[in-house]
Amino acid sequence: MLWKRINLENFDFPNVVSYNKEYIDINNISDKIQLTNNPRNINLDIDMNDVKGLGDRFISFSKDCYNSSIDLSLPRNVKIQEPIIIKFNMDMDNPMVIDKNIIVAESGSEATIIFDYSSIKEVKAFHNGLTMVYAKENTKINIIKIQRMNDISLNFDSNFAFVEGQGNVNWISVELGSSISGTNYSTFLEGEASESNLSSIYLGDKERKMDLGYSMIHKGPRSLSSIETKGVLKDKSKKVFRGNLDFKRGARHSKGVEEEYVILLDPTVKSDSIPALLCEEDDVEGEHAASAGQIDENRLFYLMSRGLNEREAKKMIIESSFRPIINKIPFEDFRLIINKEIEGRLMDE
Amino acid sequence: MTNNLLNISNLKVNIEGKEILRGVDLQVAKGEIHVIMGPNGGGKSTLGYTLMGHPQYEIIDGNIEFDGEIINDLKVDKRAKKGIFLSFQYPEEIPGVTVEEFLRTAKTSVSGEIQKIIPFKKLLKEKMNQLEMKEEYASRYLNLGFSGGEKKKNEILQMSILEPKLAILDETDSGLDVDAIRIVAEGVKKLQDREKSIIVITHYNKLLEYLQPDFVHILLDGKIVKSGGLELAQEIDKKGYENIRNEFSNK
Repeated sequence: MLWKRINLENFDFPNVVSYNKEYIDINNISDKIQLTNNPRNINLDIDMNDVKGLGDRFISFSKDCYNSSIDLSLPRNVKIQEPIIIKFNMDMDNPMVIDKNIIVAESGSEATIIFDYSSIKEVKAFHNGLTMVYAKENTKINIIKIQRMNDISLNFDSNFAFVEGQGNVNWISVELGSSISGTNYSTFLEGEASESNLSSIYLGDKERKMDLGYSMIHKGPRSLSSIETKGVLKDKSKKVFRGNLDFKRGARHSKGVEEEYVILLDPTVKSDSIPALLCEEDDVEGEHAASAGQIDENRLFYLMSRGLNEREAKKMIIESSFRPIINKIPFEDFRLIINKEIEGRLMDE
Repeated sequence: MTNNLLNISNLKVNIEGKEILRGVDLQVAKGEIHVIMGPNGGGKSTLGYTLMGHPQYEIIDGNIEFDGEIINDLKVDKRAKKGIFLSFQYPEEIPGVTVEEFLRTAKTSVSGEIQKIIPFKKLLKEKMNQLEMKEEYASRYLNLGFSGGEKKKNEILQMSILEPKLAILDETDSGLDVDAIRIVAEGVKKLQDREKSIIVITHYNKLLEYLQPDFVHILLDGKIVKSGGLELAQEIDKKGYENIRNEFSNK
């Protein structure tokens, strides 16, 4: 496992320093919601065996030692159209973000929250985050996380959602930066017909090491989940993908699908994919597919026959793989930022 | 040196070590329409792919001269820039990239001139109208979910935008209904003028009725065994390839 290779089990956490910049974009905050930077106390009572990826040391670090936070309450039936934007940009004076975020969505509420983690070029930045989402009945909560920190930084992020009847939590994860990045998204589908979809893209370049752990834990009957991941690895990057569809007793008639597709641009990359299907219930449907391959030669030929050179054609094929997921982000500014970051990293040879 | 746009001499091509083309000779002058017919496995598509420059098609002998230059070792994108276009029998699907975006990028690459958004939109709309394509295709992902016929029309749309000197149409008429063949043929004819040449690879005669080719060639077992005019295509239509095959296997 990647963690063992890079010895994160004995990871030495740094001394916490404060993050003094504004990170909540207050310009478009609706007055119907409550948003503070003072998190309420919440007991995170979960069986760590259900969670893949980062262990509880990383979770506890954010829980106990946070230097930034949002606590968002969405009252009953309040639907917010404008996304709520949380932006961290680490620099020499603010090199560290240890964030603890709590989102409580009362029944019938809807909102989109975008978290953007970036850093200036020179700083060896550090991010360790914990985000917890409590989505009650009939909610629709979209969480978008963009990680584009520089190549000497470290990123760790743990995300949990608890979804009640007919609630819906959609995650979008965009992983583009850091030297080591570990992210973990675990959704507990508690209620009947609860639903969660996770779409993610990742780009590994230079010597980046990534660990992506996604779990959908089905507990309620007729619950639905999907995981769709598109990746590109180049240079000497390494990645472990672990996707779990876990059907607990009681999750009758539930359905989960997961799919990971990665394009390997160089023979020097390392890609491990470990999809798993766990069933305590008989009457469930789980599908998984993972594939890894080089850029399809016929596709490349087709694009090049229209005048694109090899590099342009490869770039178009990669964009084509990422685009359907990027286009799910309902905010053009961020789509442009992401496209530019990807372009920069692909062209940097 | 000849005045021909394309001069193929004694072309031998291997795919994965197997010889598919076994000495093809073909001259195409500017403004001419040539038809390549022949049974499956005879090398028709191989000829198209080889002219375009697919890396898996290995030239082991002979030359391809295009516009006064031997292009045997020229990469596919360079050939496109020189003015060769292949309409694919099975075009690739590229999700995430719209038809308009793709064509604007392609036109920029081929012409070497940046295509401004508004004038390009106008050009695209005009060409789509000619091909009786709905405007919504411009914003759909390239070939994704297109029917066989829609893909073929899209290839002709690309051709008419890129304006190549030589267009090779590989089975462009297969999978098209009669109306679509007429529309495609009209699109092809608009491209063709005194300067531009076309090679049509086909099984059928339908497209030829509209296009009025100058020459018809029969490609059999990796060689062009017979050339003639439209009457040759009509003869094949009636009698099939058996007569020709017998004629040449006796030699």
